[in-house]
Formats: sequence, structure tokens, C-alpha cells
Amino acid sequence: MSERTTSQDPREKSAEPGAGAESGRWSSKPEVDGARAAVPSLGLRGTLLFLWRQLTSMQTALVLLMLLAVAAIPGSLYPQRSVNPALTEQFLDENGRWGEILDALGFFEVFSSPWFSAIYLLLFISLIGCIVPRVGVHLKQLRAKPPRTPSRLTRFTGYTRVELPGEQADALIESARRSLRRSRYRTEVREERNGRSVSAERGLLRETGNLLFHIALVGVLVCVAGGSLTSYRGQVTVIEGDGFSNSLTQYDSFEAGAWFDESDMPDFRFTLEDFRATYVEPGESGKVGEPRSFEADVQVSTPGQEDESRTVQVNKPLHVPGASMYLLGNGYAPEITVTDPEGTVVAEGPLITVPMGDVGYTSQVVLKAPDAQPEQTAVVGFFLPTGTIDEQGPRSLYPDAVDPQLALTVYQGDLGLDSGVPQNAYEVDLTTLTAVPGEDGDPVLIRLYPGEEYELADGTTVSFDGLRRYAAFDIAHNPFERGILVSALVAVGGLILSLFVPRRRLWVRVREADGTAVLEVAGLARSDDPALETDVKALASRLAGAHDGNRPPDAASSGHPAADADGGHREGSAQ
Amino acid sequence: MINQQLAEISNLALVVTIVLYVLALIGFGADLASSSQRRSDARLAARERQEAEQEAQPATVGAAAGHTSGTTTGGSPDSADAKGVADAASAGDVTDPAGAEHVAAGTMTAQRFAFVLTSAATVLHLAGVITRALATQRVPWANMYEFATTSTAIVMVAFLAFSIRRTELRALGTFVVGPVLLVLLLAQTFWIVPAAELTPSLQNSHWIYIHIGVAILATALSILGAVVASLQLLQAKHERTLAERAATEDFPEHWGRFGHVLDRLPSSSSLESLSFRIHSLAFVCWTFTLIFGAIWAREAWGRFWGWDPKEVWTFIIWVIYAAYLHARATGGFRGSRAAGLALAGFVAVIFNYTIVNTVINGLHSYSGL
Ligand code: HEM
Repeated sequence: MSERTTSQDPREKSAEPGAGAESGRWSSKPEVDGARAAVPSLGLRGTLLFLWRQLTSMQTALVLLMLLAVAAIPGSLYPQRSVNPALTEQFLDENGRWGEILDALGFFEVFSSPWFSAIYLLLFISLIGCIVPRVGVHLKQLRAKPPRTPSRLTRFTGYTRVELPGEQADALIESARRSLRRSRYRTEVREERNGRSVSAERGLLRETGNLLFHIALVGVLVCVAGGSLTSYRGQVTVIEGDGFSNSLTQYDSFEAGAWFDESDMPDFRFTLEDFRATYVEPGESGKVGEPRSFEADVQVSTPGQEDESRTVQVNKPLHVPGASMYLLGNGYAPEITVTDPEGTVVAEGPLITVPMGDVGYTSQVVLKAPDAQPEQTAVVGFFLPTGTIDEQGPRSLYPDAVDPQLALTVYQGDLGLDSGVPQNAYEVDLTTLTAVPGEDGDPVLIRLYPGEEYELADGTTVSFDGLRRYAAFDIAHNPFERGILVSALVAVGGLILSLFVPRRRLWVRVREADGTAVLEVAGLARSDDPALETDVKALASRLAGAHDGNRPPDAASSGHPAADADGGHREGSAQ
Repeated sequence: MINQQLAEISNLALVVTIVLYVLALIGFGADLASSSQRRSDARLAARERQEAEQEAQPATVGAAAGHTSGTTTGGSPDSADAKGVADAASAGDVTDPAGAEHVAAGTMTAQRFAFVLTSAATVLHLAGVITRALATQRVPWANMYEFATTSTAIVMVAFLAFSIRRTELRALGTFVVGPVLLVLLLAQTFWIVPAAELTPSLQNSHWIYIHIGVAILATALSILGAVVASLQLLQAKHERTLAERAATEDFPEHWGRFGHVLDRLPSSSSLESLSFRIHSLAFVCWTFTLIFGAIWAREAWGRFWGWDPKEVWTFIIWVIYAAYLHARATGGFRGSRAAGLALAGFVAVIFNYTIVNTVINGLHSYSGL
């Protein structure tokens, strides 16, 4: 905190008297030593202290906050590997050298990049360095008595002076104190040279709230870090009628933090009984084919509990102890049977197809039959819930299974499964395969409706036996979620206190002279506090009224011609 | 089920609203222009009186300047006198903030006309929003179009609420109705979508009421805060210019085209504290938007935070406004620099609302386009 800061903002100076005093010492040093010797004379310890003070200053916090905002921007403009790896790869492919440079600089992993991390770590170090001394100062302030009444109150806000003939100073002071107490001021009555005064203070909660807010932010960060070390998340795909039991081998993909322990995974299983989807139908309002609802009925069993039927929907996850399950995707699983030319069934059952992202749910079919003889076989094509085949090729017009059909081509050759490179089950490399030709020599496009079978010239048969749907779930758990939520809520609570509790001081002084009590009231705002002036005046008028036959302060003079020429009621407010 | 008839009524109401806002804007503009005219007339008159005074010397000229001492002894009037004249000339504007000086009460001035139109338009605007809600039987904020119409309705209601009591704020009409009209036009031409039921990602969740409701409030407060912060910056510049010119000129010209409007507005320091109050509320609303959004994201996607572009930008908005609040407490940043940060925050709000919704693709299917 520099000299400039503290001198321009009295609020801040008084909030942090320690820091203020120290900054005075540091910034006065160069003047004493001369500019030349300023830095070397600090020595190592001094230099470190100097840097520490710089780091924990308000300006630094401000600059770091702005840097944080700016550094986050590329994270929204470039695809992020952790959010969308496919898009990231595509961007890299399309942008060649430029993409590589960006990649090396971390633009595809902004939020875990060294520069982004450096900014927020510095910010939080600065934050902690800022909080710790302020907590000390604040605790002292909470125990301290309200500061003594200034000798001249005239310069302060809402200054009001009332002369009350025949009043008892002690009674006035006592009722002032009680009234302030009721309004939740901390008060202190002080004897003065020729009278007494109450000094009152309210709004220390403002600083408490501010500290709470900043501490809770550290809490959020710590819990987020804890969560990323211990949480896990995985994807599963389940076909209607099939089951899932929670173990690592059952997941399509799985990520977990460094401290994740597999034995912590809760033991539960479920069966997907039914999956339903509804879409905007022609004639209804909205875009035709846009989804309206997805529902998955599951039968869940957890140890020690009876089986339960539950419906998982978007926004309605299934919570079991230690994990939650979210419905995030769905698609079709046509039941396909393939026999090779020798008559052996080489593939059978429901096959998960991958929707291509169009409204009609045109889905990709990839079926690999490595055991087919004489050659390995792949069946590749599309599943079409409401299909048509025209000059644009096979595609689906509507997402519901109104007219389901398969459009397939059979390939034979080497599936490349022996190369040792792990393969994606939903992709096939066609370069080492050839399409089975029909009688005219062209590759055959097989179009199948449910219940149909097709036999190729070489004796391979493909049949479409039935249709099921599948649902894709994410199963995740983060043990620190509750901590993050609690910290965040504490932070807003503190923030609200810190922004909206006015911090102020108020003084009431009564002097007695010639049987007349002279009442003075004034206040000092220590935050934006537009109501202070009216509050001070209201207090003055209450006190004067209560002790003078309930008359407002102006009336005090009118009934007493002896009062001074100004009308016995002088008002003056400074600033 | 969608009630198509109501949906059409809603559309119609909003189109008529736009027309009324256009007329109101013309009214407010005419008011600005005429008060500019009145002001320069007054200044000219003051100068003429001053010159007359000088020519008439050494005759008694007190009458010309009204309340000023008028006893000019030297060749040039002392500057205190000159200021007195200028002040007298501007008093009319200042004391009658409704802009109705020289006009009997009850007469239709441009501003009164504009204000009445604005009120009618706002009622219609609200009716449009409400009929949309009734037509779809849900909250009217499920896509960009509805978000825009609803949040601008809130801005207008807030403006009317402020300016019904404090008539001097009506002079701000142009600066409020203008942006609102712009947003409505964008909504009506680019973002409009037929009234429809919710997509699954928005269904089954009370968070659509809470999270988006708070986001709309936060956005409306950011818009108002930005209007006040811009006026604060203009006013500060105006005050500086006036102070400089007062030192060298007898009849300080007002700064820029809007100098006369700024004359009627509160000082830059009270605008600053108003801006602070609005932005504190906005910041609290943005904080809740973030937290509720995170809770909803966890319910819907199984993670509370995923650096989706929408999340990134809400984070950016939040951080910039936090920086603004810090700047107010940091020596050397109070006042205009802090206001600059508040405006930077508003730029981020706009970016989040337009570019992020339409150009950058993320999980938030919210735009509905
Ligand atoms: C993690 C980043 C931070 C965030 C998001 C943040 C946010 C805020 C916000 C929103 C306020 C306004 C609330 C109020 O006025 O009471 C505030 C106030 C304050 N912050 Fe921070 N802050 C951060 C870091 C820091 C750091 C590093 C420091 C120490 C240099 C600091 C010191 C203060 C002080 C002294 C105030 C009170 C200002 C006043 O008197 O109005 N903050 N902060």
C-alpha cells in the first residue's frame, strides 16, 4: 500500500492503521537516503519485504483481477481440449503452424496453462497476505471502545445543536445511550471537562463481512482444488433391457483426480428398462423434430436397500449415496445379425449407433466381425429412424422411429485389429477393406426394414431383427461440492454485509450551563451512507422532544424567549 | 400447449411498443434540441445585456442585469458580475427540470409528450411479455428473444420508477429509450423465434426461474449502471471543462452538444455514488447468477463448472465488476477510472449476450436460435 493510496482514501487508512503506518515509513525512506540508495539499502530481507508489500497492495490486487479477466478471454475464443477435444484437433489440423504455436503457448488449455495459473495463484497469495493482517486489526477493533468524541463536532455530518433549558444532562446522556443501544450502536459514555458525551459506532459488520467474503473466496479455491484431486467422472452407454454395475471396467471412458481411490466407488447397479423421447411433431409449434423430452426408466439397486424404480431425466439426475447419474445422451441400437458365407453367425444383437447431430438422428453404423470366414467383415452405413434415400444419400427426416431402416454396405478384408493400436469401436479403417460387389460389380447398398434379411452374392447375410434404444449417462462424484457451495454462499453473505451495511460513528454531547442543557449531535460516515444525515437529525429531534414535553427541537426556542438570537436551534452540517 | 392467438397478440403488442418507443425517442430528442436552443438563446441574451451594459456606461445599468450589482466602473466588468449573469440565465433550466420553463403547467411539451408515450409503451411492453408467458405457460425468458424483451421491460420499469418522482431524470429519456429500442429492434429482427415449449435441457428445473431470473435482473442493473457511469464520465469531463473555461472566459460555453443536458443532471460525484449503488446490486446479482448457474450445471450436466464459453464470460463479467469495486477503494482509481472499469464490465455483458450466444458454440443451448 503506497503513501498515495492511504492519503487519498481516509477510509482505507483507518481500516488498516498498521499498513498505513508502515507504508509511511517505506515511502519516506528514499527521501532520507536519496533516490539512488533506495533499493540497495533495503538489503535482502528488506527487498523481500518490499516485494511482499507490493504484492499485497490494493493496486496489485486490482491489476491481477484485470489480468485474470483478460487471460480468461482466449479460453472462450479457442476450443479447449478439456471441453471439446475433437474441435481442438480440428482447429489444429486447419491451422497448421499457427495452431502449433498457439498450442505451445497453452491456448487450448487456458485454464490449466502456466500463465493463467500464475495469475490466480498470485492473486490468492496477495489475498491471503491482505486478509491476515486485516483480521488482526479488525479483531482489535472489535474489542476496542468507540473512539472518543471529537472536541469540535461542528465539522461533522448532520451537526445539530439544541438548547434545552431546565434539562438534566445526565438524563439526556442516558436516554441517548439507550436509544443508540437500541439501534445497535456500540456506545461509550465519557466524562468531559464541562459535560458528558456518548460516542457510538455501528457497522463493524461491514468489515467483518468483507473479511468473510475474502476468506470464503480462499475457501472456494481450496475446495475446488480438493475436488479436482478426489473427484471422478465417467461415461456409460446402456441399451434398453441391459444393466450396469458400477465398476471401472464398465465405463466407456473415465477420468479421476490424483487422489481418487477406486475402492471409494459406491456399489450400485441398475437396469435400463425403458427409454422414451418425444419430439415436436409436424403441426405443433416449434421446430419439427426438436426434442421435447427424454426419460429413462431405471431399476436401481444399492446395497442394503430395496430395488427402486426411478426415472432419470435431463435436469433430474439420479442420486445414489456417493455418486450421481446424469442422462446426457441417447440413440438407437438396431438388432443386427450377420452370418458369414460359411453360415456362421459372426455378429448378433443390438448395436450402438452414433447420431450424427442432425435433427433427424441419422446415425452411423459400424459393425466389425473379426471372426468372419474366409475374410474379416465390416458392416458400415446408417440407421435412419425415419429414412429416405435420395440424391443426397441416405438420411433421416425425423428423429422418432416412424419408418426405421438401415442403409448398409458390407466390406471384407483386414480389419487391422492385430496391429496392436487400440481402435475406436465406432470407427473403421476402410483402406484395407473392399466393398462386397453386387451382380453389376458396384458395391451393394443394402436397405433393410425391421424383420428383413438380405443375402449377398457370396452368401453373407445381414438381417435387421428389431430395434431398441440406448441411453448414455455420466456418473460423477465430487466430495468437495458441498464445501464449494457452502464457501460460495458464505462469500455472498459476507459480500452483502460488506456492501450494504453502513459503517458510521455518531456522537452526542451535552453540556450544562446556567441550568440549560446544550445538546450537540453529529455523525461521521465511513462508507457510502446517504441516510446518515437524516438519522443524526432524527436522533437529535427525538432526544430534544423526549425531554421537552415531546416538542420538536424548533419548539424549544419559541417557548423560551431567553434563548439565543439564532432561535436556540442552530444547524450546521459540514461536507 | 401453446396458445397461438395469445402468442400473436404478444408479437403485435411488441411491434406497437417499438413504434411508440420510436415516437417517444423523437420527443425526447426534440426536447434535448429545444433545451439546447433555449440555452443558447439565454446565453446570447446574457451576452447582449452585458454588451449593452458596457455601452451604456457610465449610465446606471443595474436594471438590465436584474439582480446583479451592475455598477461597472472600469472598462470591463469584473468576472463575478459576469458569472452572476450567466447563472441567472441558466437558473431557468435548473429550477424547472421538466423542461417546461416559459410553458404553463398542463401544456404539452416535447418532453411531457415523450414521457407519456414512454409510459404507454412500457405498459404495452409489459403486456407483450406477459402474454408471451401466458401463451407458452412458462416464464418469458427461455431464449434470447424473450430474454431481450423481458430485460428491456425491466429497464424501462426501473427508469419510470426513478423518474416519476424525480422529474429531472426524465431528461435522461433519450439515453434509456435509445438503447432499449436498439435491443428490441435486434430482438424483433434477428432473434425472434416462434412461441414454443421448452427444450428438454430447460425443462424440469426450477433453476430456470431462479438462475435466469437473477441473470435478467443483473443484466438490467448492468445496463442502468452503464448509463449512469457514462453520464458520470461525461459530467466529470463537463465539470473539468467548465472549471477551465470559467478561469479564462466570461461566458463559459458548455462542453459539447449535451452540455445543457449535463447542467440539469446531478454532479459527477453524486452520479458516481448512484453508479456505485447500482453496480453493488448488480455485482450481488451476478454473484448469485454464477452460483445458481453452477448449481444448475451440476444438476443438468453433472459438473458445476466446465469453462463453457458462457461460463467463461460470466466469470469475466464477475471479475471485472470485482475489479471495479476494488478500484473504488484504491487511491488513484476512484472516480473516472473506476467508472471506466464499470463500463468494461458492461462491454463484457454485451459480448456475453450477443457474440457468445450466437457465434461461439457451447453447451448453453439457451439462445434458442
Ligand atoms: C480473489 C480475488 C478478489 C476478489 C474477487 C475480490 C473482490 C472484492 C469485492 C467484490 C470487494 C467489494 C466488497 C466491498 O467493498 O466490501 C472487495 C473489497 C475489498 N478487497 Fe477484495 N477481492 C479480491 C482480492 C483482494 C486482495 C488480493 C486484496 C488485498 C490487497 C483485497 C482487498 C480488498 C479490500 C481492502 C476491500 C475493501 C474495499 C473497501 O473498503 O471498499 N481483495 N474485494
